[in-house]
Parts: sequence; C-alpha cells; structure tokens
Amino acid sequence: MFGKEAIKLIHELDQCEEIKPFNEAIFQQVLEEINSLYEQNSKDVSTITETNTAPRNSVIVRHFAMNRNKRCLLTYLYHRLRRLRQIRWELGSILPSEITANLVSAESHWFQAYSKSLATYMRSIGEDGLNIMNDVHPPKSLYIEVRCVQDYGKFEFDDGQIVNLKENTYHLLPRSQCEALIRQGVLEHVSS
Amino acid sequence: METKNSESEYSTEHNENVSHLEESDDEMTAERALQALENAWLNEKFSPELLPHQLELVECMLEQISHMEENLKKLEKGDIRLNIHTMEINRIRFIISSYLRKRLDKIEEYAIYFLSEDANRSSEEAFMTPAETHFAREYVSSVESLFTTLALQHMPRRIKDFELNAMSSKPNLNKHVFIRANKATDGILIPGNMNEQDFKEDSQHIIQYAAIAHLVKNGHVQLI
Amino acid sequence: MDPSEVEFLGEKQLVSIVPNFSFGIIHLISGSVGPFRAGLPVKVPIWLAISLKQQQKCRIIAQEWMDIEKLNDSIEAEKRSKLFTKMPSNHFMDEAQMLLMVAPDDIPDADNIRTAVKDIWDLRMSKLRSSVIGFVKNAGTYAKLDHLTAMEINSIRSLLPDALDIMLHMEHGGKPTVLQSLNTTM
Repeated sequence: MFGKEAIKLIHELDQCEEIKPFNEAIFQQVLEEINSLYEQNSKDVSTITETNTAPRNSVIVRHFAMNRNKRCLLTYLYHRLRRLRQIRWELGSILPSEITANLVSAESHWFQAYSKSLATYMRSIGEDGLNIMNDVHPPKSLYIEVRCVQDYGKFEFDDGQIVNLKENTYHLLPRSQCEALIRQGVLEHVSS
Repeated sequence: METKNSESEYSTEHNENVSHLEESDDEMTAERALQALENAWLNEKFSPELLPHQLELVECMLEQISHMEENLKKLEKGDIRLNIHTMEINRIRFIISSYLRKRLDKIEEYAIYFLSEDANRSSEEAFMTPAETHFAREYVSSVESLFTTLALQHMPRRIKDFELNAMSSKPNLNKHVFIRANKATDGILIPGNMNEQDFKEDSQHIIQYAAIAHLVKNGHVQLI
Repeated sequence: MDPSEVEFLGEKQLVSIVPNFSFGIIHLISGSVGPFRAGLPVKVPIWLAISLKQQQKCRIIAQEWMDIEKLNDSIEAEKRSKLFTKMPSNHFMDEAQMLLMVAPDDIPDADNIRTAVKDIWDLRMSKLRSSVIGFVKNAGTYAKLDHLTAMEINSIRSLLPDALDIMLHMEHGGKPTVLQSLNTTM
C-alpha cells in the first residue's frame, strides 16, 4: 500500500521523545516510492485521451500518495530538528556524543548553523550581549547548595572564587553560574 | 527613552543626602520602565501572537543593570547593598531573558508568517527587532537547506520546491486568555454571541484573545 | 506558568520588617527602600525581606491580614458566598507560604494561620472546580473572574483555556455560543 513505509517514520517520532538513529533505510524507501509513483504517473498521463480517461483516477491517487509521502518525510525531519533545537536550549552548543551519533551530517550542520544564529542574536542584545539561555528559573536566593555529581576540576566563578568541583562534594555557589553546570549534569541542586 | 539614574549616591564623592533629579513627564523613570517591561513579559507569555517588540525597554533595563554593576564594583566587600542590588539585578535579568526567550520561541514556530506580516509594515512599525528579523530569516533558510539536502532535492521536479505557504503556520488568535482591565473599557464584543461586555477597571476575565488583542496592544488590558 | 513564577510576582508585594541594622535609603532600580533604623519597622518587597531574614538581619512582621480572627472571618464569608470573596492580597496564598516558611518564629500563631490559609484555599479551589465544570458544560466562551487571585488563576491555566479552545475548534467557530449566566461565579 502506498504510504505504508512513510507512516512508520511518524510512528517512530511518536514512540519516543529522544532522537533515535536517523532511519536511513525507510527514508530512502519512501523517496524511491515517491519517484516511482512519479514515473508511473508520467507514463499514464501521456496515455490519457478523450476516449481513454481510465488512467486519470490512478494518476490522482498516486499524486495524493506522493504528497503524503513528502509530507511524512518533511515532518520526520522537522520534528528531529525541533528536538535538536530543544537540546541546544537546554544543554548548550556542544552536543553530547550519544546524540551526534544518531544524526546525519546535514542535521549536524543544521545544529551548527542554528547555534551560530542564536549566538549572533544573543550578541546583539544590549551593549555587551546577553545569554538568554541563563536565568531559566526565577531567582530565589543568590547562593544555592549544590552537590557535585562528577569530577569536573577547578571552576572559577565571577566573584573570583575558585572551587574544585570533585565528585560528591557539596558547595554553596552563586546560582547564576551554576545553572549551566546543572544542565550539563556536573552539579545537582540540593533542595533544602 | 531617557531614564533617570538613581545611583548618584555611589559616586566617589559619597553624599548621603543627594537629591534626585526632578521628575518630568517625558522622562521615564527606571522604576516605570521596569514595570512596563514586566507587563510586556506577561503579555508576551500569554498572547498567542507576537506582540510589537519593546527593544527600548529591554535596552534601557540592560543599561540600568550594567550601570548598577559598575557601581557595585566601587562598594567594599560586605557592604549590605552588594547582595541586595545583585538580587535585584538577577530578578530583572530573569524577566528580560524569559521575555526574549518567549519571543524567539514564537518566532521560530511562526517565522514565515511573522516575516511576511512584518514585510507589510514600515521598519518603525515592525513587530520584530532587526536582530529578531535576521534570526527568523536565518532560521527559515536553515530549515529549507536541511529539507533540501535530505529530501527535496531527491524528489521529482514538480514537487521538490520548498513551499513557503505550505510550511507557514499562523498563531491561533481565538485562544482563550486571562486578562485584567487596566482601564474601564466599554463595549467589548464577545466572539460567538456578539454580546457586548463592559470591563470595569481592575476586573478580570477569561476571553478569546482576538476580542481584546487591540486592547493588549494599547495597554488597556493586561494578560495575566 | 510555573508556580515559581507566580511566586516571583508575589515577591514584589511589600511587607514590614524590623531591621537590626541601620542604613540610609537604598536606591533600587524598582524604587527606593529604607532608610533602615535598627528596631524600627520599614516596608520592603518580600524578596528583600526573605533575603535579610535569611541573613539574620531582620525580623518579619506578619501581614495585617495574617491574623487568625480575620482569616476565620474570611472562611465564614467564603462559605456563605456563592461568589468568590475578595482576598486581602492578590497573592495571599504564595505570600503566606513564603513568609511562614522563612519566618515561622516571627509570625504569631503561625501554625493556625497556615491551617486557616489552607482552609480558605481548599474552599475556593472546590468552588473554582465546580464553576469550571459548570462553565464548560454550558459551552461558555467568556466569563468574569473577579476576585480570583494570581495563584488560583494559574491553577486553572493548564486546563480551562485549552478545553475551551478545543470545544471552540469542534464547533468550527461559526455557531453562536451562549453567554454564560454563570459568569458571575467565575
């Protein structure tokens, strides 16, 4: 049945929210289906005459099938792109390797281009630019208690204090600069 | 927009009794600019469409922040004002960032539509700032290039175009929103039944956005 | 909106504190605070009060309405009224929560106040739930929401507007919708 493969791509998006390995095999199959539908239509179209209108219906059905396939392919690409974008907002401009491994090169390029646009935009804000990916939550108090989840090494804070972030150590640190480290999974907020 | 600088007390000639610049009507105090920005933030958060940008307010508050940060450098460690001002700066930075994030969010979702809308406006009336417009264009073209590389260029000639219209979606202006009337406003047409409602000052309502979109833009109504 | 953001807005409300230090006027961007005189009450935004309290630089004076008799009166009024009664503050719930959390030792009768605030909240939430159900059943599209506080509005934000949007969508928008007679209780 036409479109049967294409819908598998949509199901794949539905099944999990993570970025799975790019489904090259099915993606290619759908592209091939589109092209063969097109070829068949080109052949049939030339046979349509005033007396022979029968092929017209098959042409129309193939036409819809082709467009549906196209729509599924672009939906697949778009939703993967939106997930990547979400990762950029949450984790920053360096992609974790387990995600990079699941991308095709055009997607990696997209991510870089997007990061670059975002950086350009953020540099344009005010005199010195503003990283709007910080300050995600309303500020509560200036310092928060954090636990270090993995060895990170020395980190210098804006106020000049240098902290050695070793696994399983607790620190009272400026909230503003902890956010990125928390998102990267280096620190963990200890709620009191 | 002129803002008053209320930080004269931290100048090197420290003077407890420094009096502030006289307030005048065409001058916006930092306090009022901050309130206006907070209102813009909440409006942007809850309105389905992109509202006219408030670049001046954002720049004004960022200036206030950097000015304040400069002043804080002059304070000695342990000065009680250090923490207090820093906390306030963090609060303001949160509003600015959250506000700008929300706008980018919408811009990405409806980039094609907003670009075409702004194309019909003069540059002074554009809803997006120049930087946002630039970002929107780059976003659309980056999506187009991904689509082309992986899919469209491998398709038959007749369907391989990146169709802007097909890709463009519009915000749903009929969404229901919560509002507070800043001013008494009469004769609001309720969509659907064409009845009219009068809003008393400070009254709160739930209503379709489209019915009050113009009142959000002129400040008679605040989204809450 | 995340409840922490409602709280963030609530933190702008003023509260009286008694500082244990003296200092001149502090010119914040959002307006001036002070002067502070040790032992003398002064009004500051709640976010500042909380921070000073955490640094043991002040004690917090309960809001005027954080009084068990007044709160009990409110409970009775809320029970008697079909409509929502006016609360002493648009942020009464979050203000109470924040101040009781950071300064239980400063607020007389803190436990009872906490319970009374919770009772008012529960009463109003159940009223709110039945209003919302009635409103949706009658296919309403507009309602007045007077006297609902910020946290209460936020509590129905994730549900009510979306439900109405979907209903409107199903109706295709063309048909007229009945104006809510119920709107006064919403």
